[in-house]
Amino acid sequence: MKRYITGIFLIVGIAFLIVGCGNQNEHLAKGKELIKSDKRRKEERAVREFKLAIEQEKNNAEAHYLLGFYDSQDYYETNLPEWNQASIAQRGQHMFKAYQQKPGEYLEILIFDTLRDDDVDVQNTALEALTLVYQKGERKQLLNQLEKAIKSNDNRDRHDAQWVMANIGRTDPKTMVPILVELLEHKQMGTRLNAVKALGEIGSEDAIPVLAALIDSGSAKREKDREVAEVRQLAVAALGKIGGKAVPELVKITENKGSSLRVDAIRALSSLGDEKAVQPLLDALKEKSSREIVVELGN
Amino acid sequence: MLKGMKMQKKLLFLFLYLIVVCSLGCDNTYYDEHLEMEVKQLDSDLNNRWSTSGVVVSSITANGPAEKADLATGELISYVIGEYPIHSSGDFSSAVKKAMADDNNMLLYLKDKQPLRIATRKSGDKVGIEVEGSGTVRIKNIIHGTPASNSDNILIGDVVEKIVDERKIQGLDDYKKTINEFAKANATLTFRTTELIGVKIAAVTALGNLGDARAVDALIDILKNNRELALRKAAARSLDRLVALSRLNSLFQQYQQENVNQLPADTLDRSQLESAEILGLLLVDPTANTATLEAPFGIQFQHRSEALNQKVNEGQLVDLAEQYIQKDIEPDQEIRRACLSILGVLRPTSAIDSLAKVLRDQDEIPGIRFQAGLGLSRIGEPAANALIDVFNEADATAKDIAASALGNIGGTVTRDFLINALDTTDDPAIQLTLVDAIAKIGDESSLSALDRQRQRFQEDDSAIRIFLDEVFSSITAPLE
Repeated sequence: MKRYITGIFLIVGIAFLIVGCGNQNEHLAKGKELIKSDKRRKEERAVREFKLAIEQEKNNAEAHYLLGFYDSQDYYETNLPEWNQASIAQRGQHMFKAYQQKPGEYLEILIFDTLRDDDVDVQNTALEALTLVYQKGERKQLLNQLEKAIKSNDNRDRHDAQWVMANIGRTDPKTMVPILVELLEHKQMGTRLNAVKALGEIGSEDAIPVLAALIDSGSAKREKDREVAEVRQLAVAALGKIGGKAVPELVKITENKGSSLRVDAIRALSSLGDEKAVQPLLDALKEKSSREIVVELGN
Repeated sequence: MLKGMKMQKKLLFLFLYLIVVCSLGCDNTYYDEHLEMEVKQLDSDLNNRWSTSGVVVSSITANGPAEKADLATGELISYVIGEYPIHSSGDFSSAVKKAMADDNNMLLYLKDKQPLRIATRKSGDKVGIEVEGSGTVRIKNIIHGTPASNSDNILIGDVVEKIVDERKIQGLDDYKKTINEFAKANATLTFRTTELIGVKIAAVTALGNLGDARAVDALIDILKNNRELALRKAAARSLDRLVALSRLNSLFQQYQQENVNQLPADTLDRSQLESAEILGLLLVDPTANTATLEAPFGIQFQHRSEALNQKVNEGQLVDLAEQYIQKDIEPDQEIRRACLSILGVLRPTSAIDSLAKVLRDQDEIPGIRFQAGLGLSRIGEPAANALIDVFNEADATAKDIAASALGNIGGTVTRDFLINALDTTDDPAIQLTLVDAIAKIGDESSLSALDRQRQRFQEDDSAIRIFLDEVFSSITAPLE
């Protein structure tokens, strides 16, 4: 029975493949073949094919995606029209066009695949495309996928999602900050860690109270109420990035003698340069030095 | 079946044990009835990060033993030390037993001798001392092959005064147990507290960065009076930085007066711009010809710069630095270097003698002597006589540095001295430095003097002739 079903799947699959190949734009096929080959300057030549593929078929999602992926300003002389077209913004547009044709498919590819690429330009292109999705596409689906990624078991996914969320959050903190704040309750430490990081990058003062509470939880009576050291440490760094109204919170940590994060708080204050930090730091210097004290017991 | 029952019982015990441990571990404060104060568990991760252990005093009851002993809230108790006085052989054996428990380690105090640390390899091992007497307790016998027999300082007939038991406190439970044991044994208690040095170092460093005038006195106090070297080093570095920041005051005044965060770069002092950029206070864009204050730090600092400048110029810093560049006052070279750097920036004529002393000191590190010479050359003409004295009286290293510094200072007296010195010096290394120094002055008399030297060394195939040729070729074709 099982074998029978597998067989059917196989046949259907092959059928699709044949139909797909039949339909495929020949420039696109040639470009893809080039990429797989070990020919000299294969990417550069493939890019030419992808451009031709788009000329032939304006809405070919795959051609747009691949053009966005492989085009690079390194291939052209500065300020030529082609050079301008290979900017990150233009490449992002191509990836966004792929998304517009097949939203579900390319949203997933962009978040779980393209962002992972080793090439920083490709990562930035994906970010550009995802920002366009946020502005013009299905915002809710995007947010769902990003949440899925930041909750993933894979550290790389979480990190990538954090990066995109931080970037979107900088222009639209009102939407992003509450989402990230909610993620601070997530059971997985890596998710909370990345949410804290993104809140720091966004720099919105709305995040200060919840970060402060998280830092404070280090001395909670019950272990389950305590946030782990790594996350708390990052939360202090996040307050340092937010600055402004976060300064009094950092001062409070500096003054809390049982806190393990005083040094982190002091360092954050040091780089913020705020005058309000001076007196608490001077007070910290007045704390008693190491010493020996003889104690007479009362009874 | 029977086995299963046993297992169940074991599990039950384990469960109860866990509950007990948990109820102990979950409470993060403890009121100590003996000392009448509350102590608190450290943040769980403090332990790992600064290898600190102990408990923090969170509150102290008025008129209790803790308050009378002058303990302060916020102090971190890392060790509790109990002393057992010895008046009988019974005292001795019970004290040894208690002190060796847990850590196999104790301090033995014998009359008229340094305290001796005695450690056994494992618990239950004998220390190896037998005593007798009451009132005064003396050593009667030392057992062969025990830790006591390995020490040359323990002799039969020695008077045992006391045994001291040091306990490192890991956390709240440890503290509770130790205090209760010591209280029961009527031991005299000493607390050893730990300063969270990392916090203070961070604070000192931050105060150096913030550039606030109020930090100056506090940092001077640490440099003078603190016992912790790492902290003093940090204070010296921070003071050096504050001095460097204070020299930028006239630059920041320009921003203040115009009430802007950006000025055309070519209207500002170039060397000040350079140091401000290195200190991270502003950003120079040469193509746009702009110098922009960096947010947040540069923008914040412009409001503090005037006060800092005044404070630095009050003079305490110069006095301090003049003292702490001397090796017999400050053994740490990093601190001496920071103080030399401070003098190099402030350039006080009052420092000439102390700088010359460093330069003369044959036991000083050559790099530091060089820095002292640099300081003198920055002071300029007023330091010329002191440098001439050094050249005439001190060792070859000092001569070399002094000659080079005199070349930087220039002036006719200096020039004539250098020319004369070149005629009378035999040391080829110093001859080279002198030629370089005279060439640096570079006026007509200097050049004719060098030309004369070229004739003198013409026969030689020495380094000095090659060097002189180079000097002249660079002078005659300066643009190439």
